[in-house]
Amino acid sequence: MPRERILKGIAVSQGIARGKVFIYETKKVKVFQAPILPVYLKDETERFDRSLEKTKQELLSIQKRLNYEIGEDFAQFLDAQIMMLSDKAIIQEVKKRILEEKLNAEYIYNEVIKEYAEKLSGSTDSYLKERVADIWDVGFRVLRNLLGLTHSSIVEVPADSIVVAHDISPSEAAIINPQNVLAIATEAGGRTSHTAITARALEIPAVLGIKGLMEKIENAEDVILDGDRGILIKNPSAGKIHRYEKVKKEGLILEKALSPFCELPSRTRDDRHIDISANIEFFSEYIHAKKYGAEGIGLFRTEFLYLTRRGNPTEEEQYRVYNALAIKMKPCPVIIRTYDLGGDKIFSDYQEANPFLGWRAIRVSLDEPDFFKMQLRAILRASVNKNVKIMFPMISNYEEIKRVNLIFDKVKDELRAKKINFDEEIQFGIMVETPSAALLSSHLAQQVDFFSIGSNDLTQYTLGVDRGNEKISQLFDHFHPAVLTLIKQIITSGHEAHIWVGLCGELAADPLAIPLLIGMGIDELSMNPGSIPRAKMVLRAITIPECEEIAEGAVRFRTPLEVKRYLRRMIHKKFPGIDEVIK
Amino acid sequence: MIKKPVKILNENGLHALPASRFVKLAEKFISDVMLEKDGVEVSGKSIMGILTLACEKGSTVILTCTGKDEKEAFRSLRKILEGQD
Repeated sequence: MPRERILKGIAVSQGIARGKVFIYETKKVKVFQAPILPVYLKDETERFDRSLEKTKQELLSIQKRLNYEIGEDFAQFLDAQIMMLSDKAIIQEVKKRILEEKLNAEYIYNEVIKEYAEKLSGSTDSYLKERVADIWDVGFRVLRNLLGLTHSSIVEVPADSIVVAHDISPSEAAIINPQNVLAIATEAGGRTSHTAITARALEIPAVLGIKGLMEKIENAEDVILDGDRGILIKNPSAGKIHRYEKVKKEGLILEKALSPFCELPSRTRDDRHIDISANIEFFSEYIHAKKYGAEGIGLFRTEFLYLTRRGNPTEEEQYRVYNALAIKMKPCPVIIRTYDLGGDKIFSDYQEANPFLGWRAIRVSLDEPDFFKMQLRAILRASVNKNVKIMFPMISNYEEIKRVNLIFDKVKDELRAKKINFDEEIQFGIMVETPSAALLSSHLAQQVDFFSIGSNDLTQYTLGVDRGNEKISQLFDHFHPAVLTLIKQIITSGHEAHIWVGLCGELAADPLAIPLLIGMGIDELSMNPGSIPRAKMVLRAITIPECEEIAEGAVRFRTPLEVKRYLRRMIHKKFPGIDEVIK
Repeated sequence: MIKKPVKILNENGLHALPASRFVKLAEKFISDVMLEKDGVEVSGKSIMGILTLACEKGSTVILTCTGKDEKEAFRSLRKILEGQD
């Protein structure tokens, strides 16, 4: 029995799958050279025209489907492909050479495309280099149409396959059949690649960016893909198979048992309403948010807009996405968070040694007012729908809020002067995710309409632990008494200032934490859409006075372990009904 | 014929979006539109041609418009290159 091997990559789409490897390779197109008799040359150019038209229709139909399934913003890459396809200079050159060289269309077209692709791949610009993939994506499609070949075999994947590929081209990713594809693993790609976005939209588990994948894997091998942890397990041991099957089976049973909760209101047993909302990254995920019964979008991450295109999105592009999301979610609220990445993501020549403590999020926005104001304008314009709130990430001192407020007011004035409508009552909130903001929360609360506690970053910054670092990741624990003390303080400061306080980290979805957070007085919990039914189930089993009792008792511990033991014991005693969802 | 050097001031260079806007606009004119950089000349109505020029922000191209509506063509296309559209 060959040894088990774990291949690591980037977790881009959650879920676990076990199946047979289906190695997917983009079909190579073999182009031959054939002389054409002068009398048939005109027919040959017409045949070329027909193949272009056929290709165009195919791309338009893929685009239509993507617009519907994932969103127009995402499907834009096909516009670029259609433009490349309809490029007059190329079409003329191909026809001219067919007539002059008296050779077949496939051969000439392939030669012409090759020349362009070679020019671009020699470029030092990474954006242009990436376009080579688009050129060949279109080029092969035309060639296959000329040769009368069928397109990608990715639609013909056998049932229960785990698709393994070096990379999957955008138009291929678009036609993946979720019925047969259990999971996707690729060597290339990352969190914001087309494949990742498609996998998430279709809820197919995926791990991308696995180095050396293609040399390590064989067709029809039995593998397990863990999209939560970002690993692909080759030759899994009997023990591991057993464990994963158990997790999967229990997950399915639980999912089924929990599904009725999607539609139930998020109220505690003693009828207190708690907002349960969804964290989403891409526009299309609003569909999941609704499906699982979210009562709003508690966090719309806008980074995706900045990562999937060259340069920064224009105001118009941003507005279109924010506005569409607000409309789809009406009347439920949508909280849009402004740019929350390092400066390196938008100013490519910028690098720093310690990005998590560096020039990122609100710090970038405040230093680049034009960039910031553009995003504010787009969000404000979308606020005419009356359900948009705005939130600023990584506030670590009081002056930052004052400065944000000043710029925000200025942008509002500019819009008023131009007679552009927005919601004058738009709520303005901040993420509380640095220890300094938590400790200053009573002052910060005076300046804002709400707090949203970013528990992941708050834990990371409070404990000084980078959870991505395997050597120390065991030190990362949301239940650390220091973190819980800060959370309690933030909620109290918020309530004293009569503002609402939400929490949008992983803690919000943890059944062990929910009674504690409710007991501390949290008003809103925002989480991955898939976790919502479970959170509602927990919520509907608990009562406020008993949660308060649990929260009061939780402050006296010294270690995360003590806290968790205590919570387990108390929940078992008070709400035995939710034992089964607590691991 | 109008033939003049234009400096690319568009924030993102003449890649992607500006390039496709340029082509879409160029196609609206009857005039021939040509772009030249470092001795290489391409049609301004060809997205692939423009991409291969790799026009970064700050680089200079020679924009040539020839035809009945050359004045109007030159004026509006220059705006895209200069990031003022």
